[in-house]
Amino acid sequence: MLGKAVVGAGGGTKVLKPSFVSYVRPEEIHTNEKEVTEKEVTLHLLPGEELLCEASTVLKYVQEDSCQRGICGRLVCTDFKIAFLGSDESALENDETQFKNKVIGENDITLHCVDQIYGVFDEKKKTLFGQLKKYPEKLIIHCKDLRVFHFCLRYTKEEEVKRIVSGIIHHTLAPKRLKRLFLFSYAAAVQSSAATSPKSHTVMFDTLEDWCRELERTRGSVKYKAVSVNEGYRVCERLPAYFVVPTPLPEENVSRFQGHGVPIWCWSCHNGCALLKMSALPKEQDDSVLQTQKSFLEGIYRIIHRPPYEIVKTEDLSSNFVSLQDIQTAYSKFKQLFLIDNSTEFWDTDIKWFSLLESSSWLDIIRRCLKKAIEIVECLEAQNMNVLLVEENASDLCCLVSSLVQVMMDPHCRTSAGFQSLIQKEWVMGGHCFLDRCNHLRQSDKEEVPVFLLFLDCVWQLVHQHPPAFEFTETYLTVLSDSLYIPIFSTFFFNSPHQKETNMGKEGPDAQGKPLSLLTVWDWSVQFEPKAQMLLRNPLYVEKPKLDKGQRKGTRFKHQRQLSLPLTQSKSSPKRGFLREETDHLFKNLLGKRISKLINSSDELQDTFREFYDSWHSKPTDYHGLLLPHIEGPEIRVWAQRYLRWIPEAQILGGGTVATMSKLLEMMEEVQSLQEKINEGHHRQEAPQAEAPSLLRNSARLSSLFPFALLQRPSSKPVLPTSGWKALGDEEDLAKREDEFVDLGDV
Amino acid sequence: MWWGGRGQSFNIAPQKEEPEMGPSAPKSVQGSGMPEPGSRQLGSCLASGCLPGEQVLAWAPGVRKGLDPELPGTLICTNLRVTFQPRGWQRSQETPLSMSSLSRVQLHRPGSLLKFIPEEILIHGRDFRLLRVGFETGGLEPQAFQVTMAIVQARAQSSQTQQYAGITLSEAGRSAGSRTPPIPLLETSEDWETERKKQAASGWRVSLVNERFDVATSLSRYFWVPIRTLDSEVRRAFGHFHQGRGPRLSWHHPGGSDLLRCGGFYTASDPNKEDIRTVESMLQAGHSDVVLVDTMDELPSLADVQLAHLRLRALCLPDSPVAEDKWLSALEGTRWLDYVRSCLRKASDISVLVTSRVRSVVLQERGDRDFNGLLSSLVQLLSAPEARTLLGFQSLVQREWVAAGHPFLTRLGETGVSEKAPVFLLFLDCVWQLLQQFPAEFEFSEFFLLALHDSVRVPDTLTFLRDTPRERGKQNGQFNSCTQVYTPGYSQLPTGNSVDPQLSVWDWDLRYSNKQILQFRNPGYDPKYCPDSWLPRQQPSFMVPRPPSSVWLFSRGALTPLNQLCPWRDSPSLLAVPSRWLPRPAISSESLADQEWGLPSHWGACPLPSGLLLPGYLGPQIRLWRRCYLRGRPEAQMGLSAPTITGLQDELAHLQELLRKWTPRISPEDHSKKRDPNSQSR
Repeated sequence: MLGKAVVGAGGGTKVLKPSFVSYVRPEEIHTNEKEVTEKEVTLHLLPGEELLCEASTVLKYVQEDSCQRGICGRLVCTDFKIAFLGSDESALENDETQFKNKVIGENDITLHCVDQIYGVFDEKKKTLFGQLKKYPEKLIIHCKDLRVFHFCLRYTKEEEVKRIVSGIIHHTLAPKRLKRLFLFSYAAAVQSSAATSPKSHTVMFDTLEDWCRELERTRGSVKYKAVSVNEGYRVCERLPAYFVVPTPLPEENVSRFQGHGVPIWCWSCHNGCALLKMSALPKEQDDSVLQTQKSFLEGIYRIIHRPPYEIVKTEDLSSNFVSLQDIQTAYSKFKQLFLIDNSTEFWDTDIKWFSLLESSSWLDIIRRCLKKAIEIVECLEAQNMNVLLVEENASDLCCLVSSLVQVMMDPHCRTSAGFQSLIQKEWVMGGHCFLDRCNHLRQSDKEEVPVFLLFLDCVWQLVHQHPPAFEFTETYLTVLSDSLYIPIFSTFFFNSPHQKETNMGKEGPDAQGKPLSLLTVWDWSVQFEPKAQMLLRNPLYVEKPKLDKGQRKGTRFKHQRQLSLPLTQSKSSPKRGFLREETDHLFKNLLGKRISKLINSSDELQDTFREFYDSWHSKPTDYHGLLLPHIEGPEIRVWAQRYLRWIPEAQILGGGTVATMSKLLEMMEEVQSLQEKINEGHHRQEAPQAEAPSLLRNSARLSSLFPFALLQRPSSKPVLPTSGWKALGDEEDLAKREDEFVDLGDV
Repeated sequence: MWWGGRGQSFNIAPQKEEPEMGPSAPKSVQGSGMPEPGSRQLGSCLASGCLPGEQVLAWAPGVRKGLDPELPGTLICTNLRVTFQPRGWQRSQETPLSMSSLSRVQLHRPGSLLKFIPEEILIHGRDFRLLRVGFETGGLEPQAFQVTMAIVQARAQSSQTQQYAGITLSEAGRSAGSRTPPIPLLETSEDWETERKKQAASGWRVSLVNERFDVATSLSRYFWVPIRTLDSEVRRAFGHFHQGRGPRLSWHHPGGSDLLRCGGFYTASDPNKEDIRTVESMLQAGHSDVVLVDTMDELPSLADVQLAHLRLRALCLPDSPVAEDKWLSALEGTRWLDYVRSCLRKASDISVLVTSRVRSVVLQERGDRDFNGLLSSLVQLLSAPEARTLLGFQSLVQREWVAAGHPFLTRLGETGVSEKAPVFLLFLDCVWQLLQQFPAEFEFSEFFLLALHDSVRVPDTLTFLRDTPRERGKQNGQFNSCTQVYTPGYSQLPTGNSVDPQLSVWDWDLRYSNKQILQFRNPGYDPKYCPDSWLPRQQPSFMVPRPPSSVWLFSRGALTPLNQLCPWRDSPSLLAVPSRWLPRPAISSESLADQEWGLPSHWGACPLPSGLLLPGYLGPQIRLWRRCYLRGRPEAQMGLSAPTITGLQDELAHLQELLRKWTPRISPEDHSKKRDPNSQSR
């Protein structure tokens, strides 16, 4: 009980409104102070991390039903994180918290993870920004991973309050320069300690060979070639140094419009069709420019419309599809459902849960993205068409849609390494502006659009609907989404590969002149112990069957899916007229003259889509083949693990998917050991026990929020119940009850 | 594929029935002018699948749609049901829809003006099923029209007067020979005594006072009363309750608490002091702590439930007009999930009351036939691991619903009375929510619930087709010797066919194939239950009659002290005085678990008594039972089940088989250990 004060149990009337009043008397705090400092947790600094400001005697509130408990400690702001150092011994002594992030502690908020800061002045909550005239008595921090922190500053010295509050506001909310990112100081500091990043299986796509290998893997090398025309970013700063274009495309075409208007290869399907993307040509008023653009596009068209290339269908993602604006509004509404200051708020929204959820339209956007991806899959798979995605910079929705298509069609992208390579290829090398979209530099709130998060949520829907098809788990996705805000990994902190290279190449003040080596997020051992990494891997994932007896099921279903597809040649045979029309569309779209009725919105195509979708779903699923999600209203779900994990009310003890999971793991272990035995045959040696994940193997009932719930487990609670029993009086009864509580504690 | 969940529906002693079928089937077929060869084929087709007394009205060849591949076969309409028989199948494997469960028949006609050419027929079941049949040759054959008319007419008739021809069924039961019911049907006092012993309810006894149904017509013949209360006292005390449904034991918690249920106090009666004392002592059941639970408080009314169910059904229709992006608010608008939540919440609170300390908890509902059953069953599911087994759950339903006289017939709308309300279906939905939330705690699977859900309207057993045990017995001929002198060992008397236990819905093999029955088991069942790890402290003064030291009323999520148990002494009935209720605090974030234990319900590593489940009842946690309600939607029929655990178990079995073959000399204990998880699933 050291350093802890019970809050809220006192004032009977106030119990109902646990908002911002503290019931701790200062004396109480001071008596505890000494012990606090003795037991205090020391601040762990990363290499290169500097302490900026701190404040002592800060209370962190822990929400426990209607009453709040305060933990006394120190609030610290460094150039990497805001940290609360309290003596929450429960969390420390608890050896069950095996799923611990090595970089970010339970009470750490990286500066980039801060979403909003609120101050409470006289029980009124106000958003904090810029220079403050008055300092709040309570600080509420909403994080981008949906945690909510409450810090009470009432017992903190005034100058400390000033320092810490303005420090936090300045370092989290004020615009920053790229060079000031913690990333660089960290990299510079680690440099000396020989950061040899172990080569993982993730393909980084930063060399020509990587692209060539990807072409080989998808058997696209016949029609497409990797080019190094942009080496050193001579042509264009948005494009990666190496990329893939149709073989006959002359290289000078790439430089003509700085990479605009050039079809860039994303992926080749098993039937030879390819997914291409193209950034639209700049809109011009000048007629002569338009004319050159048109003839340029015609040239391009001639290249990609000749055999051996299939018919190209153009998919303009900047019209007739969700806009970035939509995504932004939807997510900001949606996240409010989960950023809950206290349980009162939670219960208020609980009644209207479904309509609130719907009005955010986040789920609807997910549905539309999945639907678009299925439409494209249908073109590629059933109609044997190439699909060309067009977007202004080909770096937002293009990334989203093309990676979704690949996840659905390419089983390789459902392995961990494949998925990571996919993100590397489509998002990191594809020039998705992580820096702007995540607003890491706080330069423009308008640019902040959670496109990548939307992608992860779409993938989660797939994972949730077809868990055995994926090598990774939903926990992996959750952890990946959290890693967006950890500025020691370079992966999500640049707008383009060019930006990354120019910024780490010559580290000016450094005398060494050696390029910095930055960590990638794919090195999971930086964040998690091997034991915890087990939770990122799906134990049920079966690798592509190699005619193994143990996996009879898989082989039986194999290829069934592909054969059963309506592989009849596309309905519209390539007549010249059709092609002409198609070309016109291409031009019109690319030149920015939108026609209201696009070909993909026509009824006929809707029908073939429906047919394709229905026929796929009426067949048994081959987890190593094409995978389509259900997109009907009831099927799109809330990613509960990510969004609800910090809400204690949403916890089910001994229930949830974790319960099934532990049973599964148990059986997996058994299967493994049996398999081993069989493999050994008759001469049985002392086989090492199968290293199965044992995180779940404890007798206690796990919470449904596992592995995240343990991180914020409350440790104590006032023994006397607060209401309901007040009126009874009877002394003997009270005594008896206390006995019972003691009993309970012993169990 | 599991579509409707019902296959192999009526294969009751097939050989015997063939002669019975002979005269009836051809006659009706001739009457409707069917060509002879067809009827022969049909006759043989139906021979094994028809009930005695069932008549084939019309049939037509067709193609079952909505599946892939489409299934050719025959659509058959009899006086009892509509069924589709796939071609070449010996027995009807598919989804008969009983006449009364048809909610809507739709026809798709081709462009032609001829109205009597149906091209496709869509039959909507009340249990969310959909049968979609396209007729051969575009409906030009006369049979197509005939079968359509037959269905439409039969439906119209059945909605006017629905008298179930259940009489014929008991014959079928008899011909099946004496089979032991899979679970005790609680029709004999022995069953009750066995069950009492199983629960170790030592302070209770089986009362025979209602053997002639003269104390309460809607009650079962036997029930449990406190051991010290005499039968004469019981008789008098029960008279002061609505419809004579006085306080009876529902469940005895192994820790000592008792869960009771009773009807409302009969306010018009004027009991004397002695009766009041009896009533009080029965409610008190020997405990010093009594909690009266007002069952209906915070729960929907019967009309609400019915309305919500209708709305839900409309929403889940395949052609429901709700756009996909408006689906969630439409779902919320049905309020069905809200009602599920309130039931779970209340049940969770009550199970905390029962578990936290030794006391007597009395569920009181005016009629004592609807929500009392729902709550007491849910409470037992939450706090008694035995109730979560396959057999345990069936006997729970038998005891708390069937024997306790839940008016199935009235509530499920077979009699056309306005008191329709699918309370039982609401209960099944609640159970499904628990199953979702605690996938490792239940021995039965979702498929079992689905089978139960579909069984409520099937006219082959009387379990769900009568309102009370009395009527069930009457129909069955079991109590036809009512005038005889009763002895406790009644059923052991060799009185002809009344010895035969009636067939019940629990005889699953009547309607389901063995393969389907195997799916009733949850492969993920993983009980981590150790019975002695936590029990509330036994009070030393147990069963010593003395005035209760504390009496509470539980309503609005809080306990309020009461001065007295019975309403008659100086104030009118407590259920009649709503002013006594405290309004529930606006925020009830503090759950009852906290009040009772001083623990948050989300307490980390579980100091909750093992075996007790506290369900989640928040918006995001309550889900739609898609496999049940969305069955009519073609897109939702497929690909929903990902039987990963089953797959693993198959693999395990396979490996074990291999291992056994390869290494025959395996040490016995090792062997048994390896087989353990597999045997669990069997």
